[in-house]
Amino acid sequence: MRRRPGIGGLQTAAAARDQYRLLGENVAKLKMDLMKEQLATFRSQLEDFARKHKNDIRKNPAFRSQFHEMCAKVGVDPLASNKGFWAELLGIGDFYYELGVQIVDICLATRPHNGGLINLEELCRLLNQRRKSAREAVTEDDCLRAISKLKVLGNGFEVISVGKRKLVRSVPTELNKDHNEILELAQANGFVTVEEVARRLSWSSGRATDALETLLDEGLAMIDDGHRDGKRRYWFPCVSSISSFVGNETL
Amino acid sequence: MAGKWLPAAELTGSGRPVLHQGEVECSLLSSVDLECEDNPSSSFPLLKSGLLIVTTHRVLWIPPEGTTAHAIPLAAVSHVFTSSSSSKIKKKSIKTMFSSPRVRFQVSVTSEGRVDERGTGSMVMTLVLRGKNSDSDSLLGKLLEAWRGRAWESGGGSGSGKFDGGSSSGGLRMPVVGVAGILRKEQEMWESTDKSLQDAFQDLNALMSKAKEMVMLAEKMRLKLLSGSNNQGSVANDEDEMGSKEEMQDWLLSVGIASPVTKESAGALYHQQLSRQLADFVKIPLERSGGMINLIDVYCVFNRARGTELISPEDLLQACSLWKNVDVPVMLRLFDSGVMVIQNKSYNDEQVLSRIKSLALKPEALRSGISASDAAIMLGIAPAMAKEHLLTAESKGLLCRDVSPDGFRFYVNLFQDINLDDMYLVKDHSAYGAWRWRERERERASICEQSTKRLQPGVNVHTSLLMYYGNHAELPIFFPALETKC
Repeated sequence: MRRRPGIGGLQTAAAARDQYRLLGENVAKLKMDLMKEQLATFRSQLEDFARKHKNDIRKNPAFRSQFHEMCAKVGVDPLASNKGFWAELLGIGDFYYELGVQIVDICLATRPHNGGLINLEELCRLLNQRRKSAREAVTEDDCLRAISKLKVLGNGFEVISVGKRKLVRSVPTELNKDHNEILELAQANGFVTVEEVARRLSWSSGRATDALETLLDEGLAMIDDGHRDGKRRYWFPCVSSISSFVGNETL
Repeated sequence: MAGKWLPAAELTGSGRPVLHQGEVECSLLSSVDLECEDNPSSSFPLLKSGLLIVTTHRVLWIPPEGTTAHAIPLAAVSHVFTSSSSSKIKKKSIKTMFSSPRVRFQVSVTSEGRVDERGTGSMVMTLVLRGKNSDSDSLLGKLLEAWRGRAWESGGGSGSGKFDGGSSSGGLRMPVVGVAGILRKEQEMWESTDKSLQDAFQDLNALMSKAKEMVMLAEKMRLKLLSGSNNQGSVANDEDEMGSKEEMQDWLLSVGIASPVTKESAGALYHQQLSRQLADFVKIPLERSGGMINLIDVYCVFNRARGTELISPEDLLQACSLWKNVDVPVMLRLFDSGVMVIQNKSYNDEQVLSRIKSLALKPEALRSGISASDAAIMLGIAPAMAKEHLLTAESKGLLCRDVSPDGFRFYVNLFQDINLDDMYLVKDHSAYGAWRWRERERERASICEQSTKRLQPGVNVHTSLLMYYGNHAELPIFFPALETKC
């Protein structure tokens, strides 16, 4: 472009620059939209294939690994069996195994937020979100059935009832670090309340209650209901006495 | 010693082969001999009853024990004899009734006799199937399929150029000039992508033949999308349609095992090979979770890594229970509560026990014992786990329990230091000795303190100490040390 002197020239240049930028943005946006569209097709096709040709895919090891790679790269869950007649009737087939893997997957993914304790309803919702391609929705009953299949692998995964709600706990007591945090908290006064734990550690009250109840079962805590404010206090006789020197050790 | 003829293959810690990029196992068979027909039998080593693995790239032979495996690259195979083995069986002569089924193939060798794809000479190798119910026809079929697939040729990563250059296939190409040119180029790119997508997803065979391209396309889309959502906030917003960036990355992490052991490929060796693969796989999750991981978590992560090749919980449990028989660095542990975990063998109880002992020998612990929570804080593990360790320590005779209103507390075990024949003999370096010495120090210190507070220093301390030690006649008295201290 030939440079022209004067304010008029500058303005023209600026206007041209603006137009180029606008065009560039449009193209970029168009590109993005197009790609999203293509990706969506890609995904839905992959999902279809995963469902329809499951057995054929499994027969060919070389293709199978490529198929998995594709699924992983565009974010398709290759586990998409339908429940089917036999699965519903007898609980056989891959459906409940797949569901089990997906359930544990969700529990693992949400563990940093909830400490391994998740509401069954929420679990079900997340599960359906992930399996949106599958035709039929997964019910809570299906979840419970899938979880019961995991029983073979020990008691590390259980469904507990708190009031009317059902919670799924994926962290066994042996590996639960929540308890350590409560003990640390209790070192200050020798006791904690559910509210205090929930507030200080920003947990849900269900998570706090569950952890405290477990500590009670383990014989580490004692209940004190007699305080004036009417809130239940959990005393920890074990932490107050010699925690000071243990603290030195850990440092 | 066979390394002179055959290239070596790497093995993992648990005896599974290390596969190359893009290499997938097709078939496994145990008790197979590898023989060479042309070489005089004296010079070619005896490779007897090993594990044979046919992959898309190589034929691997792993000896029953030992850590060196041998590989024959399929690229070096020049011919596979298809008729010989099957025709022999058809004849049903007495000789073939009793001899083991064989699969023969010809490989190219260098002048020194080493198997190499660039070799000029050739020799005939024979696989002798010694297993009871090994099926030579299916092995031959798998070998042929892998050999004809020529997967090693496309493995070089040269496939990318093919896909990117797809737009220029029209022959006559418009020059790329100016804004319009750029736009047109973009347009062409998208059209070609669209077309290849459509072609690939016509049916399964089409997808299989285009699999490589599609994987590249998927990778390209993923990268663009990830970089795009970094720059433009608008893209990340409509999560429900696209799935957020985090989700995409989650998915990427979830694939890991390119060649999962399956019932189909491994047959009778299924559980054994599965157990080895699991041992290799579980290392990284174990490290991430601090040396101990819930079996159910492993079930999920392992299955995720296997993609569609799900294993059932029963199979997983069986694979874990086979670890007892093989030399692997991990083990399955069952708690009294019924919880099962996988832990490192190196995360052994010895170390934990020694730490518990040192904790129990601290002055305050000698006086008031340790609880599960003390141990939990010190070891950095959950209290229930710590209790488990304390109970183990008790059963090993390191600790004694004391159940009181204060709860469950553990003290260091002094009983084993006491000799029944001579109750008052205190061994010099025993725990009991240390405990008594500390107790005495403490009481003496408190007496000194009281004395200096209430009484004239230096005068009455002796008398009060005398009174104290008079009541504890069995204790040795050492005044000189006291005098200097007080």
